[in-house]
Amino acid sequence: MTKRIFRSICLVALTVFLASVVLFMGVLYEYFSNVEQAQLKMQTTLAAQGVTNEGIDYFHDLKVKNYRISWIDTEGNVIFDSASDIAEMENHLERKEVQEALSSGYGESRRYSATLMERSFYSAQKLDDGTILRLSISQNSILTLLLGMTQPICIIFVIALILSIVLAIQVSKKIVKPLNEIDLDNPLSNEGYDELSPFLRRIDSQQKQLRGQKTELLQKENELNTIIGSMNEGMILLNQKGKIISINPAAKKLLSADTDCIGSDMLSLCRNLELQEILTKALHGERGENIIRLYGESYQIDADPITSENIVKGAALFFFNVTEKEKAEQIRREFTANVSHELKTPLHSISGYAELLKNDMVKENDKIPFAGKIYDEAGRMIQLVEDIISLSHLDEGADDMQRENIDLYTLAEKAVQSLEPQADTLCVTLELSGVSAPLNGIPQLLYSVIYNLCDNAIKYNHENGKVMVDIQSKNGVIVLSVKDTGIGIAPEHQERIFERFYRVDKSHSKAVGGTGLGLSIVKHAAKIHNAKVDVKSHVGKGSTVIVTFPK
Amino acid sequence: MRLKFDEQLDLLNKELITMGAFCENAIAMSAKALTEGNPALAKAVPDLSQIDHKEREIETMCLKLLLQQQPVAKDLRVVSSALKMVTDMARIGAQSADIAEIITLANIHATDDTQIIYDMSVAVIKMVTDSIDAFVKKDMQMAKAVIDYDDVVDSYFDKVKKMLIELFSKPETDGEYAIDLLMIAKYFERIGDHAVNIAKWVLFSITGNKEG
Repeated sequence: MTKRIFRSICLVALTVFLASVVLFMGVLYEYFSNVEQAQLKMQTTLAAQGVTNEGIDYFHDLKVKNYRISWIDTEGNVIFDSASDIAEMENHLERKEVQEALSSGYGESRRYSATLMERSFYSAQKLDDGTILRLSISQNSILTLLLGMTQPICIIFVIALILSIVLAIQVSKKIVKPLNEIDLDNPLSNEGYDELSPFLRRIDSQQKQLRGQKTELLQKENELNTIIGSMNEGMILLNQKGKIISINPAAKKLLSADTDCIGSDMLSLCRNLELQEILTKALHGERGENIIRLYGESYQIDADPITSENIVKGAALFFFNVTEKEKAEQIRREFTANVSHELKTPLHSISGYAELLKNDMVKENDKIPFAGKIYDEAGRMIQLVEDIISLSHLDEGADDMQRENIDLYTLAEKAVQSLEPQADTLCVTLELSGVSAPLNGIPQLLYSVIYNLCDNAIKYNHENGKVMVDIQSKNGVIVLSVKDTGIGIAPEHQERIFERFYRVDKSHSKAVGGTGLGLSIVKHAAKIHNAKVDVKSHVGKGSTVIVTFPK
Repeated sequence: MRLKFDEQLDLLNKELITMGAFCENAIAMSAKALTEGNPALAKAVPDLSQIDHKEREIETMCLKLLLQQQPVAKDLRVVSSALKMVTDMARIGAQSADIAEIITLANIHATDDTQIIYDMSVAVIKMVTDSIDAFVKKDMQMAKAVIDYDDVVDSYFDKVKKMLIELFSKPETDGEYAIDLLMIAKYFERIGDHAVNIAKWVLFSITGNKEG
């Protein structure tokens, strides 16, 4: 722009210079020509008077320097000429100035010489006798003038050129300066050219728009990052070469990776072959999922290809921790298997005995014991089914059971009474101690808690063992403890005895009896009453189960 | 030119890690079969063909790189150590398969005797995993730790030997069982040595010196 302005200024300056030279010359030349013509006229008048008064003698005294003077008779023949020999001169009658003088008394004309280098002025006057006196003067033509002035013109030209260049540089710089100094970040704060203000306003509005869009984008990115960041599931995005583009905190934690892992290969984070397999699948455009054990936990890993226009652009990996789910599933499966097993065993004996009876293969005096066995087994089944029903009831939260204000000690007395015969058979002493403990709860459940705990304490006891039930009320809690001197529970089993059908003795021995659901019921019933169950046990020395109820 | 070379080096790195993953998998499965005394599990240990195939692949890749790109300085160290490492990895795979083979003979049962070999296998697996991790992360400290950890495995081997000597002195001992145990222990010990080799090559590729 500076260059262009500079060039234009130079060009304009030169054009103006040349034009003024030409015009100036023309005007001046014309002016001087006119002055000269007027002088010539005056000289002609003077000479005419001279000739009229003195005749041909006038010419003899005449000293002509600048002028050429000729005297022409009426026929057009030259009688006298100050410059040339009259004999050689042609008839002048046809000359324009002569013609004019003949007709009007005075005439003049201008003629260029053959080379154009000279111009001649002619002025003619008719004398009283009809002859014509003519004066002429020659003048340098404009071209000659110009040629003569070449040197000064050139000097002036050069000076003008230098001046115009210097000025043009400064001016163009000055013009461009505000443009260069425009502050595009704050377009409206610029003062400079009014012509630019539409642009600046436009830029300003576009910048505002851009800023708005940028804020919006940032906000969206933040939202997305927050969502991805607070996700519990691990998420990793990979490009089509299997390099990590993005990884969320959960995945980082899971794979114990740091931020450096972005850009590195998935293999460098986790060398699990199954994971690689589904990832390779995803990078070939096929969805893959698998349950994979990583660092001791089970993860369901989904690998989804990310496609755009049917070309795989990358893959997304999702890690869902399914350890708990699997555990729950496992427990459920085991429960079903256990229930069917537990139900099948008594049914087998029942059907066996019944078959014998049906076919009349039993001796008469064996029939009663057989029926007794069938009765016992059926009782076992009923007990089992009842336990399962009450458990599923507890699973539902026992909403339909009524809470009442009751005394735990009274309940314990009842339970101990009903277990007394069983304890006697096994030669176990059952003792109850403690204080009255009023409590708001569900009587059936609380009863079954005490009953089941005591039942276990009696069953898993030595001969002449002891079971001590104690109820204390202090510090805002009611503590029920059932202590026995029995066989005890090994530490590795202590956590699992509350699971359904879990038995320390894997043989599901019938000798002891029971359904394997007792402690499970205790656990659930305690949970409904917000109570805590603790087990302290030493193998061979006995166990203590402590249930702490909040008041 | 360099871009393509970088890509090839990247691929080599990836393939080596995959090879490492194969080895880890093989040794982990063998160890699991051993501790559970489960011959069926041992049969599931991948046979050598997969690892061998990978070994050939990586070797070819290394030789191609050496010929076509003529690497110098660190690149040369990386490629040449890869060439050496892959051999050690293949040996780990082969010895894991050997352990699995012994287990399939079903002389081994999960007893108290296998507990010490189980502990040994845990130590060896840690070494192998750490040596590959050291390679992945180019971690000198980790590589040195692997080299030092070999003493632990060696001491386990000594313990196994002592235990077996005791076992032999008892008249009721099943000789085949005892010898199988010895072989397995020896294989684990060898695997530990290979892990040390890998760690040394990792050190070499970083520093140019096998001792770090």
